[in-house]
Amino acid sequence: MTHDEPKRPRVLAIDDSDLVHRLLRARLRHERIDLHSVHNATEGIRAARNLQPEVILLDIELEDLDGFEVLARLKADPLTRDIAVIFVSASNETMDRVRGLDLGAVDFVGKPFDVGELKARVRSALRMQRLVRMLAQRAQLDGLTGLWNRAYLDDRLAAEVATSVRYKKPLSLVLCDLDRFKSLNDTHGHPFGDEVLERAAAVLAGGRSPDVACRYGGEEFALIAPGTDLVETMGVAERHRARISEINWPDRPGIRISASFGVADLGCIDGDPTPEKLIAAADRALYRAKETGRDRVVGADRVEWPRIAG
Amino acid sequence: MEEIPRSNGSPPLHSIYENDPDLRDLVVQFVDELDGQVLSIRAACISEDFATLRRISHQLKGAAGGYGFDPIGDCAARLEDDMLSDEMDIARLSERVEDLITTCRAAVRPADA
Repeated sequence: MTHDEPKRPRVLAIDDSDLVHRLLRARLRHERIDLHSVHNATEGIRAARNLQPEVILLDIELEDLDGFEVLARLKADPLTRDIAVIFVSASNETMDRVRGLDLGAVDFVGKPFDVGELKARVRSALRMQRLVRMLAQRAQLDGLTGLWNRAYLDDRLAAEVATSVRYKKPLSLVLCDLDRFKSLNDTHGHPFGDEVLERAAAVLAGGRSPDVACRYGGEEFALIAPGTDLVETMGVAERHRARISEINWPDRPGIRISASFGVADLGCIDGDPTPEKLIAAADRALYRAKETGRDRVVGADRVEWPRIAG
Repeated sequence: MEEIPRSNGSPPLHSIYENDPDLRDLVVQFVDELDGQVLSIRAACISEDFATLRRISHQLKGAAGGYGFDPIGDCAARLEDDMLSDEMDIARLSERVEDLITTCRAAVRPADA
């Protein structure tokens, strides 16, 4: 697949009849979708998890489980609950339609299906699915800077701490605070303050690909550095510090922006590692960076150093 | 090309999609497989295997129309309805089964296939 061709949306058809699968394949051939076919509920649920399709076309009468039960299970699993499910059924019962929609199906197509209607309903489900995913992502993005927001940081940091503990891998957190931001805002106005936030955020977002940059609060940012220990992360933070201080402000000669950084890794934590303790350790280091003159990177104290580092 | 009559009595039943390039080959395959379906229906009837009979009629009800054979889908739907009804009447059921079989056997491949 080339980079300029966007990935085709995946559609999973769950139906026990090969007659239906062949028909769907022929009828949806000219749509820009990847159609996958499975013949029973068990395979269907597994395929939904692995394939992560945008849309599922689900028959009601399956041999192993009925379609309602399949839908209920898909909705109960966080991995599959956001997939748009369209019932495709020969049942003409209004009760079936109501029950399907109440369980969370987005639509219902009767069998035998009208080709134009089927295509239109699949397209409509795909459109809706795109919007839902966009909204879900928007809700975790900071409106001004486009970085992940605090809510996302909390979720992601908890997940990264759990993973690092389980696999005994290093994990670091950087807290970054723009220096004298309030007086900058007061002197040059909020629009300029916003511009400073955006430019600094762009620096943090433009770092190494595994790092996760978030807006932590007003002029404070956080960077999760998975798989990276304190020393290496201090190097990363130092590069960000230097780049922020080198930002050019052609319209405002003489202005120089700087930021202070506090870095901590799991080795700086006493007792069981938690996201809160990691944030607190990085925050103490940040406080020291501010106290000792700003525009610098300070690492938190290690409770213990790995033997390899002496 | 002259069509071979597939049953005595019923006029040949053509798919309304037989000239649809997307579907023509599938219609041919569908008609070819109908012989097997008819055999399964007969066998299910003789052994009073109502579960199989219901499954086949349900599948034909849902799919036949999609292949352009509405009359087959309608016969299958009537059979399924009767099987689902509370008072299943065996005489009426065999009538429905015969209707479905006759309609299936009347189906013909697209003219130049």
